[in-house]
Amino acid sequence: MTGAAALLRGALRLLRSGRRRTLLAAAGVLVAGAMAGAALTVSVGLGSGFDRSAERADLPDVVARFADQPPERIRARITALPNVAAYAPRTEIANVRLRAGGESTRRGSLQLVDTTARRGYAIVAGRDLPRTGGNTREALVEQGLARTWGLEVGDTIEVGRAGPVRIVGVSIAPDNVAFPLATAPRVYLSGTALAREFGGELRVNQALVWTHDRSRTDVTLQQARATTYGVGNLRFVTRTGTRLIIDQAAGVVVALLVAFSLVALIAATTMLAAQAATEVGRRLAVIGVQRALGVPRGAVAGEQALSAGIVGLVAGGIGVTLGALLVRGPSGDLLAALNETPPGSALLLPLAGLTVLLGLIAAVAAGWPAWRAAGRPPVALLRGGGLAARAPRRRAGGPGRAGFLGLGARLALARPGRAGATVVVLAASGGVILLMLGLASLLTALRDDPTAVGTRYALTVTAPAGGAAAVRRVPGVADAGTRVETRGVDSFALGEPVKLTTFGGDVGRFVNPPLADGRRVQGTGEVEIGTGLSTALGLGVGGTLAVQLQSGAELRLRVVGTVRALQDDGRVAFARSDRLLAADPSLTPDLAVRLERGADRAVVAARLAAIGATPTNVAGATTSNRSFLDTLATVLRAVALLDGLVCLYALVQALALTARERRPTLALLRAQGAGTGTVLRVLLGAGLVLALPGALAAFALQRLVFAPLVAQLAAGYADLGTAASPAAVAAVTAGFVLFAVVAAGWVARRVVAEPPVHGLREG
Amino acid sequence: MIAARGLVKTYGSGRAARRVLDGADLDVARGEVVAIVGRSGTGKSTLLHLVGALDRPEAGTIEVAGERVDGRSERELSGFRRRRIGFVFQFFHLVPELTGEENVLLPARLPGAPRGAREHGRELIERLGLGDAARRRPHELSGGEQQRLAVARALVLDPPVLLADEPTGNLDEESGAAVLALLRSAATADRAVVVVTHEPRTSAMADRTVTLVDGRLQPAEPLLFGGGR
Ligand SMILES: Nc1ncnc2c1ncn2[C@@H]1O[C@H](COP(=O)(O)OP(=O)(O)O)[C@@H](O)[C@H]1O
Ligand SMILES: [Mg+2]
Repeated sequence: MTGAAALLRGALRLLRSGRRRTLLAAAGVLVAGAMAGAALTVSVGLGSGFDRSAERADLPDVVARFADQPPERIRARITALPNVAAYAPRTEIANVRLRAGGESTRRGSLQLVDTTARRGYAIVAGRDLPRTGGNTREALVEQGLARTWGLEVGDTIEVGRAGPVRIVGVSIAPDNVAFPLATAPRVYLSGTALAREFGGELRVNQALVWTHDRSRTDVTLQQARATTYGVGNLRFVTRTGTRLIIDQAAGVVVALLVAFSLVALIAATTMLAAQAATEVGRRLAVIGVQRALGVPRGAVAGEQALSAGIVGLVAGGIGVTLGALLVRGPSGDLLAALNETPPGSALLLPLAGLTVLLGLIAAVAAGWPAWRAAGRPPVALLRGGGLAARAPRRRAGGPGRAGFLGLGARLALARPGRAGATVVVLAASGGVILLMLGLASLLTALRDDPTAVGTRYALTVTAPAGGAAAVRRVPGVADAGTRVETRGVDSFALGEPVKLTTFGGDVGRFVNPPLADGRRVQGTGEVEIGTGLSTALGLGVGGTLAVQLQSGAELRLRVVGTVRALQDDGRVAFARSDRLLAADPSLTPDLAVRLERGADRAVVAARLAAIGATPTNVAGATTSNRSFLDTLATVLRAVALLDGLVCLYALVQALALTARERRPTLALLRAQGAGTGTVLRVLLGAGLVLALPGALAAFALQRLVFAPLVAQLAAGYADLGTAASPAAVAAVTAGFVLFAVVAAGWVARRVVAEPPVHGLREG
Repeated sequence: MIAARGLVKTYGSGRAARRVLDGADLDVARGEVVAIVGRSGTGKSTLLHLVGALDRPEAGTIEVAGERVDGRSERELSGFRRRRIGFVFQFFHLVPELTGEENVLLPARLPGAPRGAREHGRELIERLGLGDAARRRPHELSGGEQQRLAVARALVLDPPVLLADEPTGNLDEESGAAVLALLRSAATADRAVVVVTHEPRTSAMADRTVTLVDGRLQPAEPLLFGGGR
């Protein structure tokens, strides 16, 4: 025990003796901690969000949807199935008009709840509909609607023909994303109360099913399909199916953030190790004395490790907390958009673990060089061992034309190992920053630019005299072809809307969203459907899509592929026009217009209008998702900011180490009459020789590694422009130069704050 | 050329405080070489550093070439060092990344250095026969060559005062003699040279020798040191 106490005392003495170095190391750990804490907060939130929220909401394992049925019939069929633990009937009325607080929509989804059964949602404000049924003037609204429209418990909402009802609670259910990300906001009324009031029984069109053994849900579903003949338009949605869709989106974000926090941790470790190595180099003689006096090797290293570990733990804890707080708001918004609840106290354990990890990293980074040094014979250490000025390897390059900047560069490069490590850290962080900027512009693109999500045409026009050929001749137009677009409903599951977009020729000429399954449309009679439609209808490759058109005619197409289209919640289908025009000759084709790369949409639109082709802009995929994208961008921006701090820290640290190691050289310059400006120039040279290659390596890293990686991760969603824009490259370069200036200025101020004699006495 | 009065410098604080200089006075005239002797640890380097404006005294005044040194800002001090002082150290302090010539010309690159300084530096190299050493890096040179380069560096901006702190302490007899000769010849009509040493042969070449005892300077005992010319 006394040994441990001595160790602790030694460690604390070390900390006190180098307060400034301690602060710098602490700053590094703090920044890395903030970065990792932020990433962890978002990752844990999103990663476990579905399961946690599903648990809390008591989400059913299967939701069966079917045409209206008497409740008794459904109850009999379902309770007869094996593995069913509980069952709740539900009646959904689509496209109900909702109005409250000056806002309104015609796409409300009214859910009539059997209050005696399990609910499958969680209450986040107010109270639930009472088990006894309550009355018909009370409603629950989903959180997304409450947030978007600014509704609170106690407000009134008008619900279709039911008229004004009072909101008694706010609910969430993670089986779908929240309004407005999902187009139909949900409102719940007591079906039990309605039935009582009208003295009849409600017909149901949904059944919520909870199983005993979730892993055997598949078997239950098979049985259900076999025994529910006679129930029209039967479709099932399982919990895993739901989870898959929601997780894919979150997965991209989580993967990115985890990668970023790894970068931050690596950066911190590298810089800490570099600092520790310098520190140990400086203290070789002291270590030599300790060893000569018989202090065991482990104790020497332990003292270093413990002092660094204490700093790591404290600074790491502060950093992790700051990072977590910084992204708590945006990440909560993100979760809300996914209808998931924030992790709350479940986050504490991972954050504490992260803090401990930071402490350990700091301890190892500091203890290792000390352990190695202490292994050498004490005599060698006392003679100053490795500190003897190393012969510089490079030949002199004549009188340095770059003057003091050049001298600074040489000073930094005199330690190739550290210079390399710093460049690597800068490159990794810079690459991530570039990626962030790229993603930010991608998010904007997703919102505004249809080509980012697989729609290759930016305009549609009414056919002018001269047809497509005339349009193709307009400057800025790359291609034009006929297009017919119409909305219909699935004829098996009435009420499931489908947007059908068809083209005169090859479909791939105008749309190419990423393929999820199967292949692209080639012939007439074939169709690609969005994953949204595929999930809603339970329809896959090889199935038949039957669309009831507005004219009443029915069109049947064979599904050859499913695509990850974002438009209209993925309830889209792409095919060739022939069959559609044959089924409904009243439809008039327009022309889809593809622009040349770099052409200005507005300019081309004006030219088209001039030849009599009235243009319409094609919107990006996600006009209703603005807030979701903005939230995502905020999260990414917060991370990018922290990442910039990592760069700044790395530079300050590298320059501070150089200044400390070359204290005699800097003091000598000052003895010759060099002022603050010259010292600054030397340090700036040292900074630039690290920052500029760092920036270059960052571009390379972003281009060759990060961008392809993210493109792969995000392949399901969008066609990422992988090259960083010149503006982003310029911004990062300028940022790095600025960081070098700031770091050099800061370190230079510290250097000239002491009289030159201190550096010269070190000799 | 140098007039220092009542210099006080204390290291440490509280019970560990030690007054190294306690009212030291120093006067050096133009063209004069003064040797400061004294036992190790008596504060000779400290005195030189104060005169060269590398550190600040707690009390006392310093005037060098008509310029007051005490009570000036760091910015003014760096200008003062550039214009008025040439410094030579025991451990040479050449920058290992630079060649001999680059080291000599380093002060000539400073902002505010006079125009002809570089030419002057090359001439010095030539005159001191350091042409060969000037093309090499310090680690390839002997101690004597390094120290002669250091003297050339101290003279590049043609300062009125040259301060040398044990310039031969790390050299063998022969190269030490060469360096001393160089310092002696640097004491031209309008330059004063102060050399800190504990070697008799150094004070032998000085015009005058003073001893630092108990924080004050006093004329050296002629018995111990040759003294005079
Ligand atoms: N920065 C300092 N902090 C504390 N003590 C110092 C410092 N610099 C010098 N000393 C002490 O002051 C005394 C005089 O030092 P110095 O001027 O180098 O003596 P000399 O050059 O005569 O050998 C010595 O005892 C030395 O240990
Ligand atoms: Mg001395």
